Amino acid sequence: MKGYIGVKEIYQADDRYLGITWTDGAESKLDVVELRRKCPCASCVDERTGERILKPDSIANTVRPLQIDSVGRYACVIAFNDGHNTGIYSFKFLRHLSGISLS
Amino acid sequence: MGVFEQLFKKKDSELTEDRVREALKVIIDPDLDKDIVTLGFVRNLKIDRGAVEFEVNLTTPACPVKEKFKSEAEAAVKAIPGVESVNVIMTATTKGQTKSPQTASSLGRVANIILVASGKGGVGKSTTAVNLAYGLSSVGSKVGLLDADIHGPSVPMMTGVKNPTQMNGDLVQPPIKDNIKMISISMFSGTDQAAIMRGPMASSMVKNFVSQVDWGELDYLIIDCPPGTGDIHLSLAQIAPATGVVIVTSPQDVAVMDAKKAIHMYSTLQIPILGVVETMSYFEVEGKKYYLFGEGGGVKLANTYSIPLLGQIPLEEKVSESSDKGAPIVLQTGKAAAAYRDFFGNVAREVSILHATRSESLSSFSLKWRGA
Repeated sequence: MKGYIGVKEIYQADDRYLGITWTDGAESKLDVVELRRKCPCASCVDERTGERILKPDSIANTVRPLQIDSVGRYACVIAFNDGHNTGIYSFKFLRHLSGISLS
Repeated sequence: MGVFEQLFKKKDSELTEDRVREALKVIIDPDLDKDIVTLGFVRNLKIDRGAVEFEVNLTTPACPVKEKFKSEAEAAVKAIPGVESVNVIMTATTKGQTKSPQTASSLGRVANIILVASGKGGVGKSTTAVNLAYGLSSVGSKVGLLDADIHGPSVPMMTGVKNPTQMNGDLVQPPIKDNIKMISISMFSGTDQAAIMRGPMASSMVKNFVSQVDWGELDYLIIDCPPGTGDIHLSLAQIAPATGVVIVTSPQDVAVMDAKKAIHMYSTLQIPILGVVETMSYFEVEGKKYYLFGEGGGVKLANTYSIPLLGQIPLEEKVSESSDKGAPIVLQTGKAAAAYRDFFGNVAREVSILHATRSESLSSFSLKWRGA
Protein backbone atom coordinates (compact mmCIF):
# COMPACT_ATOMS: atom_id res chain seq x y z
CA MET A 1 0.00 0.00 0.00
CA LYS A 2 1.40 3.36 -1.01
CA GLY A 3 1.94 5.98 1.67
CA TYR A 4 1.82 3.45 4.48
CA ILE A 5 3.86 4.46 7.47
CA GLY A 6 4.26 2.48 10.66
CA VAL A 7 6.13 2.82 13.92
CA LYS A 8 9.09 0.51 14.44
CA GLU A 9 10.00 1.91 17.83
CA ILE A 10 8.60 4.62 20.10
CA TYR A 11 10.42 5.83 23.20
CA GLN A 12 11.01 8.71 25.59
CA ALA A 13 14.21 10.36 24.34
CA ASP A 14 14.60 12.66 27.34
CA ASP A 15 12.43 14.70 29.72
CA ARG A 16 10.78 16.66 26.91
CA TYR A 17 11.27 14.75 23.65
CA LEU A 18 9.46 11.81 22.15
CA GLY A 19 11.52 9.62 19.86
CA ILE A 20 10.08 7.57 16.98
CA THR A 21 11.84 5.24 14.57
CA TRP A 22 9.65 4.78 11.51
CA THR A 23 9.31 1.68 9.36
CA ASP A 24 11.10 3.43 6.49
CA GLY A 25 14.10 4.01 8.75
CA ALA A 26 13.54 7.73 9.39
CA GLU A 27 14.02 9.09 12.92
CA SER A 28 11.90 11.78 14.57
CA LYS A 29 12.37 13.67 17.82
CA LEU A 30 9.24 15.52 18.81
CA ASP A 31 8.83 18.18 21.49
CA VAL A 32 5.92 17.03 23.66
CA VAL A 33 5.00 20.61 24.65
CA GLU A 34 4.72 21.46 20.96
CA LEU A 35 2.58 18.33 20.44
CA ARG A 36 0.19 19.55 23.14
CA ARG A 37 0.00 23.00 21.47
CA LYS A 38 -0.66 21.39 18.07
CA CYS A 39 -3.37 19.04 19.41
CA PRO A 40 -5.60 18.12 16.43
CA CYS A 41 -8.77 17.35 18.41
CA ALA A 42 -12.10 19.03 17.75
CA SER A 43 -11.92 21.27 20.81
CA CYS A 44 -8.47 22.58 19.82
CA VAL A 45 -9.07 22.98 16.07
CA ASP A 46 -12.31 24.18 14.45
CA GLU A 47 -13.57 21.20 12.48
CA ARG A 48 -15.06 23.21 9.64
CA THR A 49 -12.52 25.97 9.08
CA GLY A 50 -9.43 24.15 10.32
CA GLU A 51 -8.68 27.25 12.43
CA ARG A 52 -6.78 26.72 15.68
CA ILE A 53 -8.97 27.47 18.69
CA LEU A 54 -6.35 26.60 21.29
CA LYS A 55 -4.05 29.53 22.14
CA PRO A 56 -0.46 28.26 22.22
CA ASP A 57 0.36 30.61 25.14
CA SER A 58 -2.30 28.95 27.26
CA ILE A 59 -0.14 25.82 27.43
CA ALA A 60 2.63 25.86 30.04
CA ASN A 61 6.11 24.67 29.16
CA THR A 62 5.80 22.17 31.99
CA VAL A 63 3.11 20.10 30.27
CA ARG A 64 4.12 16.46 29.78
CA PRO A 65 2.41 13.31 28.57
CA LEU A 66 1.29 10.70 31.05
CA GLN A 67 0.82 7.96 28.53
CA ILE A 68 0.87 7.40 24.78
CA ASP A 69 -1.21 4.56 23.33
CA SER A 70 -1.62 3.36 19.78
CA VAL A 71 -5.03 3.73 18.11
CA GLY A 72 -5.79 1.17 15.45
CA ARG A 73 -2.99 1.02 12.92
CA TYR A 74 -2.79 4.66 11.99
CA ALA A 75 -2.46 6.87 15.04
CA CYS A 76 -1.81 7.30 18.74
CA VAL A 77 -3.64 9.09 21.51
CA ILE A 78 -1.67 11.16 24.03
CA ALA A 79 -2.96 11.71 27.56
CA PHE A 80 -1.34 14.89 28.98
CA ASN A 81 -0.88 15.82 32.62
CA ASP A 82 -3.07 18.91 32.18
CA GLY A 83 -6.02 16.54 31.81
CA HIS A 84 -6.28 16.80 28.02
CA ASN A 85 -6.54 13.39 26.36
CA THR A 86 -8.73 13.74 23.28
CA GLY A 87 -6.12 14.35 20.60
CA ILE A 88 -5.60 11.50 18.14
CA TYR A 89 -2.26 12.07 16.41
CA SER A 90 -2.13 10.16 13.14
CA PHE A 91 1.31 8.84 12.18
CA LYS A 92 1.10 10.97 9.03
CA PHE A 93 0.49 14.07 11.16
CA LEU A 94 3.47 13.23 13.40
CA ARG A 95 5.63 12.80 10.33
CA HIS A 96 4.41 16.12 9.02
CA LEU A 97 5.25 17.80 12.35
CA SER A 98 8.76 16.37 12.32
CA GLY A 99 9.28 17.76 8.85
CA ILE A 100 10.13 14.47 7.13
CA SER A 101 8.10 13.81 4.01
CA LEU A 102 6.72 10.38 3.23
CA SER A 103 8.42 8.49 0.48
CA MET B 1 40.21 -47.02 -3.41
CA GLY B 2 42.12 -45.45 -0.54
CA VAL B 3 40.88 -45.26 3.00
CA PHE B 4 40.05 -41.58 2.79
CA GLU B 5 38.12 -41.94 -0.41
CA GLN B 6 36.10 -44.71 1.17
CA LEU B 7 35.40 -42.51 4.15
CA PHE B 8 34.27 -39.65 1.95
CA LYS B 9 32.13 -41.88 -0.14
CA LYS B 10 30.43 -43.24 2.92
CA LYS B 11 29.77 -39.75 4.21
CA ASP B 12 28.45 -38.66 0.87
CA SER B 13 25.87 -41.37 0.63
CA GLU B 14 24.78 -41.18 4.24
CA LEU B 15 21.22 -40.05 4.77
CA THR B 16 21.42 -37.03 7.06
CA GLU B 17 19.01 -34.31 8.15
CA ASP B 18 21.13 -31.79 6.28
CA ARG B 19 20.75 -33.72 3.05
CA VAL B 20 16.99 -33.81 3.44
CA ARG B 21 16.89 -30.08 4.20
CA GLU B 22 19.12 -29.36 1.23
CA ALA B 23 16.81 -31.35 -1.04
CA LEU B 24 13.75 -29.51 0.28
CA LYS B 25 15.28 -26.15 -0.59
CA VAL B 26 14.07 -26.57 -4.17
CA ILE B 27 10.53 -25.86 -3.00
CA ILE B 28 9.84 -22.15 -3.19
CA ASP B 29 6.85 -20.43 -1.63
CA PRO B 30 5.61 -18.41 -4.62
CA ASP B 31 4.19 -15.65 -2.41
CA LEU B 32 7.07 -15.15 -0.02
CA ASP B 33 9.65 -15.89 -2.71
CA LYS B 34 11.86 -17.96 -0.43
CA ASP B 35 12.35 -21.70 -0.04
CA ILE B 36 10.43 -23.58 2.62
CA VAL B 37 13.54 -24.50 4.61
CA THR B 38 14.76 -20.89 4.91
CA LEU B 39 11.23 -19.87 5.86
CA GLY B 40 11.36 -22.35 8.73
CA PHE B 41 8.38 -24.37 7.50
CA VAL B 42 10.16 -27.73 7.85
CA ARG B 43 9.94 -29.10 11.39
CA ASN B 44 10.28 -32.32 13.38
CA LEU B 45 12.47 -34.02 10.85
CA LYS B 46 13.01 -37.66 11.74
CA ILE B 47 15.10 -40.22 9.93
CA ASP B 48 14.83 -43.88 10.78
CA ARG B 49 17.12 -45.73 8.37
CA GLY B 50 15.39 -45.28 5.00
CA ALA B 51 12.20 -43.84 6.43
CA VAL B 52 11.96 -40.03 6.49
CA GLU B 53 9.24 -38.16 8.28
CA PHE B 54 8.81 -34.41 8.69
CA GLU B 55 6.28 -31.67 9.16
CA VAL B 56 5.66 -28.76 6.79
CA ASN B 57 4.19 -26.00 8.92
CA LEU B 58 2.42 -23.38 6.80
CA THR B 59 1.24 -19.92 7.79
CA THR B 60 -2.40 -20.76 7.17
CA PRO B 61 -4.42 -23.96 6.94
CA ALA B 62 -6.14 -22.36 3.95
CA CYS B 63 -2.91 -22.25 1.90
CA PRO B 64 -3.89 -22.60 -1.77
CA VAL B 65 -0.67 -24.45 -2.68
CA LYS B 66 -0.80 -26.93 0.22
CA GLU B 67 -1.21 -30.04 -1.94
CA LYS B 68 1.45 -28.89 -4.38
CA PHE B 69 3.93 -28.40 -1.53
CA LYS B 70 3.14 -31.83 -0.18
CA SER B 71 3.72 -33.70 -3.43
CA GLU B 72 6.83 -31.65 -4.26
CA ALA B 73 8.28 -32.35 -0.82
CA GLU B 74 7.63 -36.07 -1.20
CA ALA B 75 9.22 -36.16 -4.64
CA ALA B 76 12.27 -34.14 -3.58
CA VAL B 77 13.03 -36.36 -0.60
CA LYS B 78 12.31 -39.63 -2.45
CA ALA B 79 14.95 -38.66 -4.99
CA ILE B 80 17.67 -38.79 -2.33
CA PRO B 81 19.56 -42.10 -2.55
CA GLY B 82 18.80 -44.40 0.34
CA VAL B 83 15.32 -43.05 1.03
CA GLU B 84 12.71 -45.78 1.08
CA SER B 85 9.65 -44.00 2.35
CA VAL B 86 8.57 -40.41 2.96
CA ASN B 87 5.84 -39.20 5.27
CA VAL B 88 4.99 -35.51 4.96
CA ILE B 89 2.67 -34.08 7.60
CA MET B 90 1.06 -30.79 6.63
CA THR B 91 0.30 -28.47 9.56
CA ALA B 92 -0.30 -24.75 9.99
CA THR B 93 0.21 -22.06 12.59
CA THR B 94 -1.65 -18.91 11.68
CA LYS B 95 0.52 -15.88 12.27
CA GLY B 96 -1.09 -13.05 14.18
CA GLN B 97 -0.31 -9.68 15.62
CA THR B 98 0.12 -8.21 19.08
CA LYS B 99 -2.71 -6.04 20.27
CA SER B 100 -2.92 -2.43 21.37
CA PRO B 101 -4.02 -1.61 24.92
CA GLN B 102 -7.11 0.02 23.44
CA THR B 103 -8.02 -3.28 21.90
CA ALA B 104 -10.83 -4.95 23.68
CA SER B 105 -9.39 -7.70 25.85
CA SER B 106 -11.86 -10.19 24.45
CA LEU B 107 -9.95 -9.94 21.16
CA GLY B 108 -6.64 -10.74 22.86
CA ARG B 109 -6.34 -14.25 21.46
CA VAL B 110 -7.65 -13.48 17.98
CA ALA B 111 -4.76 -13.83 15.52
CA ASN B 112 -6.30 -12.01 12.56
CA ILE B 113 -9.23 -9.67 12.20
CA ILE B 114 -10.52 -9.39 8.65
CA LEU B 115 -13.05 -6.73 7.78
CA VAL B 116 -15.44 -7.32 4.90
CA ALA B 117 -16.60 -3.96 3.63
CA SER B 118 -18.21 -2.26 0.66
CA GLY B 119 -19.03 1.28 -0.18
CA LYS B 120 -22.48 0.50 -1.53
CA GLY B 121 -25.09 -1.71 0.09
CA GLY B 122 -26.63 -4.72 -1.62
CA VAL B 123 -23.49 -5.91 -3.38
CA GLY B 124 -23.29 -9.23 -1.54
CA LYS B 125 -21.08 -8.21 1.34
CA SER B 126 -22.75 -10.40 3.95
CA THR B 127 -22.87 -13.36 1.60
CA THR B 128 -19.15 -12.87 1.01
CA ALA B 129 -18.40 -12.59 4.75
CA VAL B 130 -20.36 -15.74 5.54
CA ASN B 131 -18.72 -17.73 2.75
CA LEU B 132 -15.28 -16.50 3.76
CA ALA B 133 -15.90 -17.68 7.32
CA TYR B 134 -17.26 -21.08 6.22
CA GLY B 135 -14.46 -21.51 3.69
CA LEU B 136 -11.65 -20.82 6.18
CA SER B 137 -13.36 -23.03 8.72
CA SER B 138 -13.75 -25.88 6.21
CA VAL B 139 -9.95 -26.25 5.98
CA GLY B 140 -9.50 -26.41 9.73
CA SER B 141 -9.02 -22.78 10.84
CA LYS B 142 -10.65 -21.54 14.04
CA VAL B 143 -13.07 -18.91 12.84
CA GLY B 144 -15.39 -16.33 14.34
CA LEU B 145 -17.98 -14.26 12.49
CA LEU B 146 -19.14 -10.90 13.79
CA ASP B 147 -22.12 -9.33 12.09
CA ALA B 148 -21.59 -5.63 12.77
CA ASP B 149 -24.05 -4.44 10.16
CA ILE B 150 -26.29 -2.96 12.79
CA HIS B 151 -28.88 -1.58 10.39
CA GLY B 152 -29.20 -4.71 8.27
CA PRO B 153 -27.90 -7.78 10.11
CA SER B 154 -28.17 -10.89 7.94
CA VAL B 155 -25.83 -13.50 9.43
CA PRO B 156 -28.49 -15.32 11.51
CA MET B 157 -30.67 -15.87 8.46
CA MET B 158 -27.77 -16.89 6.25
CA THR B 159 -26.39 -19.42 8.72
CA GLY B 160 -29.34 -20.40 10.88
CA VAL B 161 -27.40 -19.66 14.07
CA LYS B 162 -29.40 -19.43 17.29
CA ASN B 163 -29.21 -16.74 19.96
CA PRO B 164 -26.55 -16.88 22.70
CA THR B 165 -27.69 -18.37 25.99
CA GLN B 166 -24.57 -18.35 28.17
CA MET B 167 -22.42 -15.76 29.86
CA ASN B 168 -18.81 -16.14 30.94
CA GLY B 169 -18.43 -13.50 33.64
CA ASP B 170 -19.23 -10.23 31.88
CA LEU B 171 -18.73 -11.69 28.45
CA VAL B 172 -21.33 -13.22 26.17
CA GLN B 173 -20.51 -16.73 24.99
CA PRO B 174 -21.02 -16.65 21.23
CA PRO B 175 -23.22 -19.43 19.93
CA ILE B 176 -21.42 -21.93 17.71
CA LYS B 177 -22.89 -23.06 14.41
CA ASP B 178 -20.97 -25.36 12.07
CA ASN B 179 -17.83 -24.88 14.22
CA ILE B 180 -17.93 -21.09 13.77
CA LYS B 181 -18.49 -18.70 16.66
CA MET B 182 -21.08 -16.17 15.58
CA ILE B 183 -22.51 -12.99 16.98
CA SER B 184 -25.01 -10.70 15.33
CA ILE B 185 -26.58 -7.48 16.51
CA SER B 186 -29.95 -8.94 15.67
CA MET B 187 -29.47 -11.47 18.47
CA PHE B 188 -30.04 -8.59 20.85
CA SER B 189 -32.79 -6.73 19.06
CA GLY B 190 -34.67 -9.31 16.99
CA THR B 191 -34.54 -9.72 13.23
CA ASP B 192 -37.79 -7.90 12.56
CA GLN B 193 -36.94 -4.90 14.67
CA ALA B 194 -34.91 -2.06 13.21
CA ALA B 195 -32.03 -0.56 15.14
CA ILE B 196 -33.13 3.05 15.15
CA MET B 197 -30.10 4.90 16.42
CA ARG B 198 -28.12 8.05 15.85
CA GLY B 199 -24.41 7.87 15.09
CA PRO B 200 -22.92 8.07 18.59
CA MET B 201 -25.33 5.45 19.92
CA ALA B 202 -24.69 3.16 17.01
CA SER B 203 -20.92 3.31 17.38
CA SER B 204 -20.93 2.80 21.13
CA MET B 205 -23.22 -0.18 20.59
CA VAL B 206 -20.75 -1.62 18.10
CA LYS B 207 -17.93 -1.05 20.59
CA ASN B 208 -19.72 -2.97 23.32
CA PHE B 209 -20.67 -5.55 20.87
CA VAL B 210 -17.06 -6.21 19.86
CA SER B 211 -15.57 -6.04 23.35
CA GLN B 212 -18.15 -7.96 25.34
CA VAL B 213 -18.00 -11.22 23.48
CA ASP B 214 -15.83 -14.10 24.65
CA TRP B 215 -14.11 -14.90 21.34
CA GLY B 216 -11.38 -17.07 22.87
CA GLU B 217 -8.66 -18.32 20.58
CA LEU B 218 -9.28 -17.73 16.87
CA ASP B 219 -7.21 -17.84 13.69
CA TYR B 220 -9.57 -15.47 11.91
CA LEU B 221 -12.36 -13.20 13.05
CA ILE B 222 -14.42 -12.06 10.08
CA ILE B 223 -16.32 -8.81 10.62
CA ASP B 224 -19.24 -8.07 8.34
CA CYS B 225 -19.23 -4.25 8.32
CA PRO B 226 -22.19 -2.03 7.55
CA PRO B 227 -22.05 -0.47 4.07
CA GLY B 228 -20.65 3.02 3.72
CA THR B 229 -17.89 5.01 5.35
CA GLY B 230 -19.19 6.37 8.61
CA ASP B 231 -18.99 6.55 12.36
CA ILE B 232 -19.27 2.82 12.93
CA HIS B 233 -16.35 2.09 10.62
CA LEU B 234 -14.12 4.53 12.48
CA SER B 235 -15.07 2.99 15.83
CA LEU B 236 -14.43 -0.50 14.51
CA ALA B 237 -11.02 0.54 13.18
CA GLN B 238 -10.07 1.95 16.59
CA ILE B 239 -11.23 -0.87 18.78
CA ALA B 240 -10.44 -3.83 16.56
CA PRO B 241 -7.06 -3.23 14.87
CA ALA B 242 -7.82 -5.13 11.73
CA THR B 243 -5.23 -7.20 9.90
CA GLY B 244 -6.81 -6.11 6.65
CA VAL B 245 -9.99 -5.40 4.77
CA VAL B 246 -11.66 -7.15 1.85
CA ILE B 247 -13.52 -4.74 -0.42
CA VAL B 248 -16.67 -6.14 -2.02
CA THR B 249 -18.13 -4.62 -5.15
CA SER B 250 -20.46 -5.61 -7.95
CA PRO B 251 -19.32 -4.70 -11.49
CA GLN B 252 -21.42 -1.60 -12.18
CA ASP B 253 -19.90 1.88 -11.98
CA VAL B 254 -22.12 3.07 -9.17
CA ALA B 255 -20.87 0.29 -6.87
CA VAL B 256 -17.25 0.73 -7.94
CA MET B 257 -17.49 4.45 -7.23
CA ASP B 258 -18.55 3.76 -3.64
CA ALA B 259 -15.93 1.04 -3.25
CA LYS B 260 -13.29 3.66 -4.06
CA LYS B 261 -14.52 5.73 -1.14
CA ALA B 262 -14.18 2.74 1.16
CA ILE B 263 -10.64 2.15 -0.13
CA HIS B 264 -9.78 5.78 0.65
CA MET B 265 -11.17 5.51 4.15
CA TYR B 266 -9.27 2.31 5.02
CA SER B 267 -6.09 3.75 3.54
CA THR B 268 -6.44 6.76 5.83
CA LEU B 269 -6.89 4.42 8.78
CA GLN B 270 -3.86 2.45 7.55
CA ILE B 271 -5.80 -0.78 7.46
CA PRO B 272 -4.21 -2.77 4.63
CA ILE B 273 -6.50 -3.54 1.69
CA LEU B 274 -6.25 -7.31 1.14
CA GLY B 275 -7.95 -6.97 -2.21
CA VAL B 276 -11.20 -6.71 -4.12
CA VAL B 277 -13.80 -9.37 -4.71
CA GLU B 278 -16.32 -8.82 -7.48
CA THR B 279 -19.74 -10.31 -6.94
CA MET B 280 -22.51 -10.83 -9.51
CA SER B 281 -19.80 -10.83 -12.18
CA TYR B 282 -21.75 -12.61 -14.89
CA PHE B 283 -24.62 -14.98 -15.53
CA GLU B 284 -23.81 -18.06 -17.55
CA VAL B 285 -26.27 -19.89 -19.79
CA GLU B 286 -25.08 -22.86 -21.86
CA GLY B 287 -21.49 -21.70 -21.77
CA LYS B 288 -22.24 -18.12 -22.75
CA LYS B 289 -21.52 -15.40 -20.19
CA TYR B 290 -23.90 -12.46 -19.85
CA TYR B 291 -22.51 -9.43 -18.04
CA LEU B 292 -25.74 -8.14 -16.57
CA PHE B 293 -24.10 -5.40 -14.53
CA GLY B 294 -21.31 -4.50 -16.96
CA GLU B 295 -18.00 -6.20 -17.36
CA GLY B 296 -14.87 -5.97 -15.26
CA GLY B 297 -15.67 -3.29 -12.65
CA GLY B 298 -13.75 -5.22 -10.01
CA VAL B 299 -10.78 -5.79 -12.32
CA LYS B 300 -10.58 -2.09 -13.12
CA LEU B 301 -10.77 -1.20 -9.45
CA ALA B 302 -8.00 -3.65 -8.57
CA ASN B 303 -5.83 -2.26 -11.38
CA THR B 304 -6.46 1.38 -10.46
CA TYR B 305 -5.23 0.86 -6.90
CA SER B 306 -2.74 -1.95 -7.63
CA ILE B 307 -4.50 -4.26 -5.22
CA PRO B 308 -5.17 -7.97 -5.74
CA LEU B 309 -8.37 -9.19 -7.36
CA LEU B 310 -9.36 -11.89 -4.87
CA GLY B 311 -12.17 -13.39 -6.93
CA GLN B 312 -15.03 -12.98 -9.34
CA ILE B 313 -18.23 -14.64 -8.22
CA PRO B 314 -20.77 -15.46 -10.93
CA LEU B 315 -24.49 -14.91 -10.47
CA GLU B 316 -26.16 -18.18 -9.67
CA GLU B 317 -29.59 -18.89 -8.32
CA LYS B 318 -28.00 -21.18 -5.77
CA VAL B 319 -26.07 -18.36 -4.12
CA SER B 320 -29.06 -16.42 -2.86
CA GLU B 321 -31.11 -19.56 -2.33
CA SER B 322 -28.47 -21.12 -0.11
CA SER B 323 -28.05 -17.85 1.77
CA ASP B 324 -31.75 -17.73 2.52
CA LYS B 325 -31.71 -21.33 3.66
CA GLY B 326 -28.70 -20.93 5.92
CA ALA B 327 -26.43 -23.30 3.98
CA PRO B 328 -23.53 -21.29 2.53
CA ILE B 329 -22.68 -21.89 -1.12
CA VAL B 330 -18.93 -22.35 -0.54
CA LEU B 331 -19.55 -25.85 0.81
CA GLN B 332 -21.59 -26.87 -2.23
CA THR B 333 -20.90 -27.56 -5.90
CA GLY B 334 -21.02 -25.33 -8.96
CA LYS B 335 -19.17 -22.38 -10.40
CA ALA B 336 -20.08 -19.84 -7.73
CA ALA B 337 -19.01 -22.29 -5.02
CA ALA B 338 -15.68 -22.87 -6.76
CA ALA B 339 -15.20 -19.11 -7.15
CA TYR B 340 -15.79 -18.60 -3.42
CA ARG B 341 -13.26 -21.35 -2.64
CA ASP B 342 -10.62 -19.62 -4.78
CA PHE B 343 -11.54 -16.39 -3.03
CA PHE B 344 -11.00 -17.59 0.54
CA GLY B 345 -7.70 -19.21 -0.40
CA ASN B 346 -6.57 -15.89 -1.86
CA VAL B 347 -7.59 -14.02 1.29
CA ALA B 348 -5.60 -16.42 3.49
CA ARG B 349 -2.64 -16.04 1.16
CA GLU B 350 -2.77 -12.22 1.26
CA VAL B 351 -2.90 -12.28 5.06
CA SER B 352 0.20 -14.49 5.18
CA ILE B 353 2.05 -12.22 2.75
CA LEU B 354 1.12 -9.22 4.84
CA HIS B 355 2.60 -10.77 7.99
CA ALA B 356 5.79 -11.63 6.15
CA THR B 357 6.26 -8.08 4.88
CA ARG B 358 4.92 -6.02 7.76
CA SER B 359 6.61 -7.79 10.64
CA GLU B 360 8.78 -4.82 11.53
CA SER B 361 5.89 -2.48 12.20
CA LEU B 362 4.51 -2.34 15.75
CA SER B 363 0.84 -3.15 15.55
CA SER B 364 0.36 -1.61 18.97
CA PHE B 365 2.23 0.17 21.75
CA SER B 366 1.73 1.84 25.10
CA LEU B 367 4.36 4.23 26.41
CA LYS B 368 4.33 5.59 29.97
CA TRP B 369 6.13 8.93 30.35
CA ARG B 370 8.68 8.95 33.16
CA GLY B 371 8.86 11.87 35.56
CA ALA B 372 5.55 13.43 34.50
